[in-house]
Amino acid sequence: MKTILLLEDLPEIRAWLRKLVLEVFPGSHLSESARVHDAIELVKAVKFDLALIDLGLPDGSGVDVVTRLRDFQPDAQSVVVTIHDDDEHLFPALQAGAFGYILKEQARELITEQLQRISQGEPPLSPSIARRVMAYFSAKSKPQPAANAMPNVSLTDRESEVLLRVAKGYTLPEIGVQLGLSRHTIADYVKQIYRKLNVSSRAEAALEAQRLGLFR
Amino acid sequence: MHHRCVLALLLWLALLAGPAAAQTVVIQRALSAPGTGPDFPSAAPALEVALPDEWARTRPDFEGTLWYRISDVPLAAPNAGELMALYIERVCSNLEVFLNGQLVHGGGRMDEPVTDNCKHPQLVTLPAALVRPAANVLDIRVAGHRLASVGARQRAGGLSALRVGPLSDLAPHHARATALQVTVPQAVGATLLLMGGFMFVLGFINRRESHLAYFGALSVGWALTDTRLWLRDLPIGHAVTEFLFCVLLGFITWAAVQFLLRYAGVRRKWVDRLLPVQGALMPLSLLLAGPDRLHAVAVVWTAVLALEVAAAAAWHLHHERRQRGFWLMAGVLGAVTLAGLIEVGAQWTGTRPLAAQLPQLVVPVIFVLVGLRLVQQHGHALHESEQGRLQLERQVREATGEIERNYRQLAELRVEQVTERERKRIAADLHDDLGAKLLTIVHTSDSERISSLAREALEEMRLSVRGLTGKPVRLADALGDWRAEVVSRLAQAGIDGEWDAPEDLPQTLSARAYVQTTRILREATSNIIKHSGASVCSVTASIADGDFQVVVQDNGDGITNEIDHRLDRGHGLASMKNRAKQLQGQCLVESGAGYGTVIRLTVPLDRAIEGS
Repeated sequence: MKTILLLEDLPEIRAWLRKLVLEVFPGSHLSESARVHDAIELVKAVKFDLALIDLGLPDGSGVDVVTRLRDFQPDAQSVVVTIHDDDEHLFPALQAGAFGYILKEQARELITEQLQRISQGEPPLSPSIARRVMAYFSAKSKPQPAANAMPNVSLTDRESEVLLRVAKGYTLPEIGVQLGLSRHTIADYVKQIYRKLNVSSRAEAALEAQRLGLFR
Repeated sequence: MHHRCVLALLLWLALLAGPAAAQTVVIQRALSAPGTGPDFPSAAPALEVALPDEWARTRPDFEGTLWYRISDVPLAAPNAGELMALYIERVCSNLEVFLNGQLVHGGGRMDEPVTDNCKHPQLVTLPAALVRPAANVLDIRVAGHRLASVGARQRAGGLSALRVGPLSDLAPHHARATALQVTVPQAVGATLLLMGGFMFVLGFINRRESHLAYFGALSVGWALTDTRLWLRDLPIGHAVTEFLFCVLLGFITWAAVQFLLRYAGVRRKWVDRLLPVQGALMPLSLLLAGPDRLHAVAVVWTAVLALEVAAAAAWHLHHERRQRGFWLMAGVLGAVTLAGLIEVGAQWTGTRPLAAQLPQLVVPVIFVLVGLRLVQQHGHALHESEQGRLQLERQVREATGEIERNYRQLAELRVEQVTERERKRIAADLHDDLGAKLLTIVHTSDSERISSLAREALEEMRLSVRGLTGKPVRLADALGDWRAEVVSRLAQAGIDGEWDAPEDLPQTLSARAYVQTTRILREATSNIIKHSGASVCSVTASIADGDFQVVVQDNGDGITNEIDHRLDRGHGLASMKNRAKQLQGQCLVESGAGYGTVIRLTVPLDRAIEGS
């Protein structure tokens, strides 16, 4: 039995998502919330296995809840459920620790499948997000003069290879065939990429905070 | 050039003072006796004196009127009917001439204030009616001042040697002397006065060129020393006149010293303060000394003032030693110094040779020339400053233009930023309001068709928003996006997808072209999945003649008329063609029942960035 957080401000969509989640994870316990503030309160009180988080909410951004979950419940899987499909909106959430994203308007069956895959450790990764991640890591790999304290988070060659192929539009099964690896191994690479993105972003944020603190 | 002018003038003046005619008799001895009466004081003991008779030497303490008598004057005219005349080169201050007891000439007032004729040569015509055949007696009554009461020796009493001869011989002589001693100094003095006044005003207005004002004051002061040339009769006493002349020297020194310093760009507070103090001290000391000791005090003062001017000149030359005009100024100052030395020497010896008169002429001429040079410099500086001002104006205009241009660019940038922000706001609003409503319809509608329409509308909205705000998309990225979507959708539908496209293309597509192509491909994919019944679908992308081309081919049933009709109802093929047309591209559909379908889409590349 799973404990699931559902953060969505539109009542109809929330009801629809609730139904869908209960179908995919029968017997799970759902905590629902329509506001960032309430969701953070819930995160303080309840331990979650999975969190479905909308980004644009009346009192703020769902990214805050993603951050909060990562900090206090690292085992919980945050999944962004959003109407935005562009990386400008998605990338910050992924950096904050979200483990994949689901586009709301997709057909019920598609979402069901994606949820199942996510819960099995196979997060989705679009070419545009892959490109963004590549750009992020290649910018970081350049020599930085004052980056002594920066933890050396970089992608392995295999991870980079997978990322590059995703960016070119190959599907994960195709990449598996090309590299002579199983679909699950490829999915692991993707998960690893998400994790590194998050770790690196956190280190960066900490360093930035430290720098600001030093300069204050 | 100035020097040559001065030289020429000197030569000309020397020629003017040529030797007198041969028939003229020079009288160098006379009897003299003091007397206030209307006739030669026969009773008093007469003394024989040599002419010229400088009172400062022969009778230093005498003041008043003195009679001179020349007996047996040779007045026989060489030619009958010719007029005889008496020429007196210098008499100071005034005289009356009697021939055989008859007054034949008066120079003006003989009482205080005595008319000053010190600089005016006298020519006296001797009436033929009064001339006796022999033993003619010439009496000359001279009113003059003793040396102690005058500032300068040339204003002390005295009578020069006399010349008697035919008028025709003496008149040109007199004319030359008058020109040299009176007319030319008058002309130069008048010029100096006018120029000095002009320069004073000029310097007074332009405070930064204060040396002009001081030079103007110097010139005016110098010109005033020749007042006696114009005004032989002054309504003030002799003592006052002499006092004023001495005071004028202090003023001239003040102006000269300040001019020399300011012209060199030097300005000293203590000089500014001390000179006026001296200017006040000098008249005070003269007043305290009284008329009897005026000459002694004046000599001391003159020496002090001369030293001051010399010091100022040295200071000026030292300060300007590296400037361009140094030698010119040094020459001018040297000439003035030389003139001063000659003047001092002349006063000392008491003689009045031609050489002693020249300095008095040369100095004002030099002043006029220097004044002209200063005005020329001023004009030049004015011209340059005008040029500078014009240039500055031009620079200001250019800078203003630059600022305006920058401001316009900033304003444009600002408009762009505002527009961009507004676009983002509209996009966010669309997502939040319209998007939420469409989403609700998608997931709450019981009708599959309405739900699907709402989903399409949602996609449309999102693509439109992206088209509004989008930047050019690299073709390589676009192909990645399209491949991921098409291949995974086909795979989910169980159709074998084949994708053939060049990699790493540098060309770009406009955001709108990207969005529209995405829709067309999406539509095509949907049609294949829903209607074609195909098992294999191949997508081939290529670049040709600046156009981007995609060919989507399937092995399905092809499009029958019936299907075609149905598709068009859902804005299928027609909308694909429309979209291609909007991009100045085209979308061709080739199909036949049982032969599958080929869709050829051609889209122009983003020309602005293509190939960059």
